[in-house]
Amino acid sequence: MDKTKKTEYQEGGRAVYSMKARVIRRSISILLILYTFITIFVTVTTLLDSFKSKGDLISNFIGLPKKFVLDNYQNVILNDNFVLFFKNSFVLTFFGTLGCILLSSMAAYGIARYEFKGKNLLTSYFLVGMMVPIQVSVLPLFLILRRLGLLNHLAGMILVYISGISMSCLVFQKFFTTLPKSLEESARMDGCPDMRIFFQIIIPISKPVLFTMALITAVGQWNDFYMPMVLLGNKKVTTLTLAIYRYLGQFAKYMGQSMAAVIITLVPIIIIYFMFSSQIVEGLTGGAVKE
Amino acid sequence: MKKNRNYLLFISPAFILYTIFVILPILYVFYLGFTDWAGVGEMHFVGLKNFITIFTDPRFAPEFRNALKNNLKYLLCVWFVITPFQYFIAYMFFIKIPAYKYIKFMVFLPYVISSTIVSFFAMLVFDPNIGFLNNILSTLGMKKGAWFGDVNWSFKLLILIIIWQSAGSGIMIFYSNFISTSKDVMDASRVDGCTEWQRFIYILFPLSLPSCASIISMSTIWALAIFDYPFILGGSKGGVSGSLDFVNIVFYRYTFGSGLNAKSDLGFGSSICVVMFVVMFIITYLQSRILKRFEYDT
Repeated sequence: MDKTKKTEYQEGGRAVYSMKARVIRRSISILLILYTFITIFVTVTTLLDSFKSKGDLISNFIGLPKKFVLDNYQNVILNDNFVLFFKNSFVLTFFGTLGCILLSSMAAYGIARYEFKGKNLLTSYFLVGMMVPIQVSVLPLFLILRRLGLLNHLAGMILVYISGISMSCLVFQKFFTTLPKSLEESARMDGCPDMRIFFQIIIPISKPVLFTMALITAVGQWNDFYMPMVLLGNKKVTTLTLAIYRYLGQFAKYMGQSMAAVIITLVPIIIIYFMFSSQIVEGLTGGAVKE
Repeated sequence: MKKNRNYLLFISPAFILYTIFVILPILYVFYLGFTDWAGVGEMHFVGLKNFITIFTDPRFAPEFRNALKNNLKYLLCVWFVITPFQYFIAYMFFIKIPAYKYIKFMVFLPYVISSTIVSFFAMLVFDPNIGFLNNILSTLGMKKGAWFGDVNWSFKLLILIIIWQSAGSGIMIFYSNFISTSKDVMDASRVDGCTEWQRFIYILFPLSLPSCASIISMSTIWALAIFDYPFILGGSKGGVSGSLDFVNIVFYRYTFGSGLNAKSDLGFGSSICVVMFVVMFIITYLQSRILKRFEYDT
């Protein structure tokens, strides 16, 4: 290993690798490229299969469809109410994320920019949610929502999502402490109320970090399976992930439909990923990187 | 910073919701664990009865032990297979192997795909009747496998699927730690004629240990709480011969399913959660004592 990785450096700092090192680097790269083909293969096959008629799908599972048909999409959208499921998922994710980011940024601002007793205690208090997985507390959550009459209602699920502030609060807190104090001082001199300072000065300059956290929160909520399964039993409030889960139970019967359903769920998230992959990564690593 | 009470305005909305929907349930589950509540009707305090049932009931105890054993087995996989794999890939990105940008983009992609869709993909590949894998094997004239229906395979496949879907996050955290390593140190090592290998052993590896510690402690918690994949792929019964049974699935089965004595028993379900919480706490505590040695003062 010692010798294979030996490198010499030219003046620009660009590495020049020995023959052996180059071979190793290339072979690892080829292996990993082959590995990424799994992802391409399963998504492309699902995409192609979703356009196949039922007979075509059984005889010709892998490969191009003999004839492009939209039956599966028609079935899923018209007969199986996927428009409703899509709307449910969207409403949950939109309000859940918006509320979570709003409340956690406010809380983080309150902690980061004010002096008060019990600040550190509060910081740790807000971290508990990150340390205890939701599975531990899902049963009481079920009971609390039932008591409030919010079980099987999107509103109840949204409240639960909004309360998941731990991670974003931590990241925002880190970010707000780095902002210079002079930002607020002149506004405060002019008698600007604190809330207005927050919304008119702090929020606009924090947009990038708010956006990255919103992305990662939204991805998590859009993909969430466990909580909707327990807390949203009613068909009217089914989400996309739950609908797919139900298809999976009778896969052989609903093969074509499930392909179309998967594509409908997958497309928005893949588009988001292609547009914002670096922000998603940033949002994910922001909370975990130790400096 | 200004000393006034306006901070309350900022903090209280989040504080109230967080307390009701995150903290209260955790406290409530501890309380319920000591009762025999069925969800409706009267609630009786039964002391440690539920916990004694968990560990001694002739029907339930073996099932629970099997699930807990699977959780620990999975945890070992996280420590000794998944995390090292993530670390290795992150290092490959760091030394910029050919096409690393493309690979990075693709390796992280499954992270944004939901667990139901990933399970759907797993089914496309591994379904014994229509899956690609058996299709290919039979065209090659080889024996078909039962995959998730096979005790010897199901757990390994679960690990593979989890690696494929979620390794990306850990890889990215390791990677961003590597690139945030001070450039001065790296340049100095170059000037001093460090080999790539020496640079890894003496600089990158020690500097990345704190991030390893934080990744490992988070993934330990998730490992003990694993639910989605074994549940979707193996069903609520815990897969063939209980090979995909985990504590959370046992909890789900007995709480939202039929219960131990064919009646729903939320108290008993909660006590399973309490045991899980205690196990999690002990492991995380021991682990943090060990990982503390890797932390350094900055």
